[in-house]
Amino acid sequence: MIFNSEISGQQQHTTSPVVTGGSVIALVYNGGVIVGTDTLCSYGSMATFKNVQKIAQISKNTIYASSGEFSDFQQVVKELAKIDRSALQYDDGVHPSPKDYGNFLARLSYKKRCKINPLYLQNVIAGFHNGERYLGLVDIYGTYLESNFITTGFASYFCKAIIANYWNENCTLDQAKQVIRECFKVLFCRDCRAHDVIQLAYVDAQGAHIEEPERVETKWDFNGFKSRANEKLHTQ
Amino acid sequence: MLKHLYDTDCVTWSPQGKLFQVEYAMEAVKQGSICLGLKSNEYVVLCSLKRQPSELAGYQEKQFKIDDHMAIAIAGLTADARVLCKYMRTECLEYKYTYESHHPVGRLVFKVAEKSQHKTQSGAKRPYGVGLLVAGIDPNGVHLFETCPSGNYYEYKCQAIGSRSQAARTYFESWFHLFEKSTLEQLILHGLSALKKAIMEDEELNERNVEVGILGKNQKFIHLNAQELKDYIVKLETFNANTQIQQE
Repeated sequence: MIFNSEISGQQQHTTSPVVTGGSVIALVYNGGVIVGTDTLCSYGSMATFKNVQKIAQISKNTIYASSGEFSDFQQVVKELAKIDRSALQYDDGVHPSPKDYGNFLARLSYKKRCKINPLYLQNVIAGFHNGERYLGLVDIYGTYLESNFITTGFASYFCKAIIANYWNENCTLDQAKQVIRECFKVLFCRDCRAHDVIQLAYVDAQGAHIEEPERVETKWDFNGFKSRANEKLHTQ
Repeated sequence: MLKHLYDTDCVTWSPQGKLFQVEYAMEAVKQGSICLGLKSNEYVVLCSLKRQPSELAGYQEKQFKIDDHMAIAIAGLTADARVLCKYMRTECLEYKYTYESHHPVGRLVFKVAEKSQHKTQSGAKRPYGVGLLVAGIDPNGVHLFETCPSGNYYEYKCQAIGSRSQAARTYFESWFHLFEKSTLEQLILHGLSALKKAIMEDEELNERNVEVGILGKNQKFIHLNAQELKDYIVKLETFNANTQIQQE
């Protein structure tokens, strides 16, 4: 990835993101791994792009999602897909495992961080390979972690309690989905840059499945809201 | 024959469609001392006969570890072999640095073959004068490859290259149908038996001039030490190839 600015010597550095995506939540369950994101890309505080797919399928058994600068997400998807495609030229049927992608992304992120020009992302790689579930987190600095559950962005603050209380690593797919839906419900209430339409994707022994977007259930018909909206309150 | 008209460099074809310089490079491989490899479902074994330049000298090593899961045995110009060995080791290291996993074997052999081919298509270069037997394990299974100065590579169940290797190949042809299910010990004894076929009458196998390397799905590449080699060479006396057991 060489840009004209690099050649001319006037390197532009990413100092702040422009179009951003929200939190990503990823969990393992008994048959694989599941990732959830919302479908919003914000332009600062403006909810501009409301129907964006932020989970990409990289290979047959690997998916990738990230929060942060969306153009960086798109570029990373291209880079990872390039690796998967390059496997074809060797004709040996060997494809990178999800862990290989995770490590590659960690090396890439670290390299760009060292040039003070980071990929402004918190990345999640999820996959299922040889019967093993894989969840990897790569952050903006190139830190690489593997875990049973991963949260990025505001989800790290609001959702860990929900995950701790309602999820375990051997739960069913439906239970894991419910936990993620509950998390995004809370996020929509608390995170200003969150959206109530989410998308789930899971990888199991059969491969990757990306579901259609769904709206989380939210409740707004509280009596308190209704009575506050009563005009009489505001007349003297 | 008018070979000498067409054999000056790599960029000249002969009327019969041959590149003589490449063929001459393959001759260099045939001059090297023998090395052979054979594989089962779980293990690959490399056996080589080491040459001693003179009484005062040590024996030239012929097997080199590329990575935990891969090793090569060489026949031909040792200096050229060292270049390829360094290249393979570097590629494995870089792959491991980027992906934290082992370089797929076939892919590395492909890269070596590509590098070798490059040397056969230039007026200013010469082909590598070494043939490699590459033993490796990866998610696709257990592998044994041969590379040539021509840039071709082939996958084998068992193969011998170098001086008098035809005798070893003849042994393999009779017994290779057994190798798939052989134990490690049987595989080593088959390898040494094949090696024995290829030595001269006044030579004998001993722990100084024989090199045996083993690689398995759960076994990183190691050389057998002097004592183990001695024991195997003794077992060789009573090894029956057909039944694969020791016979009195």
